[in-house]
Amino acid sequence: MILVVGGAYQGKLAFARGLCPGTEWIDGRTCQEEELFGCGGVHHFHAYIEGQLRKGQPVRQLAGRIADENPEIVIVSDEIGYGIVPVDAFDREYRETAGRICTELAVYADKVYRVVCGLGLMLKG
Amino acid sequence: MVQLITGGSGSGKSAYAEGEIVGYRKQLKDGGGLFYPFLYVATMIPYGREAEEKIRRHKEQRMEAGFFTLERYTELSGLEIPPNAGILLECVSNLTANELYERDQNSKEAFEAVVSGIRSLSGRTKHLVIVTNEVHSDINGYSRETEEYRRLLGRINCALARMADKVTEVVYGIPVVYKDEKRDGRTFVEQL
Repeated sequence: MILVVGGAYQGKLAFARGLCPGTEWIDGRTCQEEELFGCGGVHHFHAYIEGQLRKGQPVRQLAGRIADENPEIVIVSDEIGYGIVPVDAFDREYRETAGRICTELAVYADKVYRVVCGLGLMLKG
Repeated sequence: MVQLITGGSGSGKSAYAEGEIVGYRKQLKDGGGLFYPFLYVATMIPYGREAEEKIRRHKEQRMEAGFFTLERYTELSGLEIPPNAGILLECVSNLTANELYERDQNSKEAFEAVVSGIRSLSGRTKHLVIVTNEVHSDINGYSRETEEYRRLLGRINCALARMADKVTEVVYGIPVVYKDEKRDGRTFVEQL
């Protein structure tokens, strides 16, 4: 598993495409759960978490299931936890949950990159 | 030599950038134009007392360190650059907002104005240090206008990083290097 994180609009997907050419990508904003377990790579993964939470779907086992069922996946996700704690209760839960899931994924991942200004720094690997 | 320095608010980017400029001149054999001043290109528009105060403080700080201040809010490519020992541009986030809102340009035009303006600065100095801002790791609950600005600044930062020889994120005063053309064995960075 490869995890690519970083702020919004940093060129994370372009970086991941360069890192893993030939990967088939799905979009976390629109994909279904079963696609997640069969795809090459997913981008906007944070948006997938948001969507699941909005639908009231459980996500507690998500990181573990991905690691079990799709251990070669490439995951691209925004870092969203660096600002002020949001006033909105849903936003707080989403922000916290996204952070915890990515933290768990980073444990399973063979490589973790953080992308800033289009440049990837290897944090693990 | 073009350096891009990013980081969050209050991360120590500015002090680090200043140190890089002053330190670089010392490395050069000929002193890098020792008789010329450093230029400090400041882009913040003095709206209100808080901004005026901040600008005054920055100018004083920089003057003590041997910098000559040029205030320029938009269209850097039209700026007349005197001979200098290095240029410190601060900061891209203000400049981008100015190109968007003061000149009422769309994102594409603002992108061109910022990037070509900075490229023209790089042609008029031996050492350009660009300070930008990391405003992208927050939750995405912004207005459409703010989100457009964040997207534009992200794209500009990526373009500047391609132009730069060295890219550094400053984390609480600690420089984290993402790109260094001069350094061998850049295995820690996978650059596209």
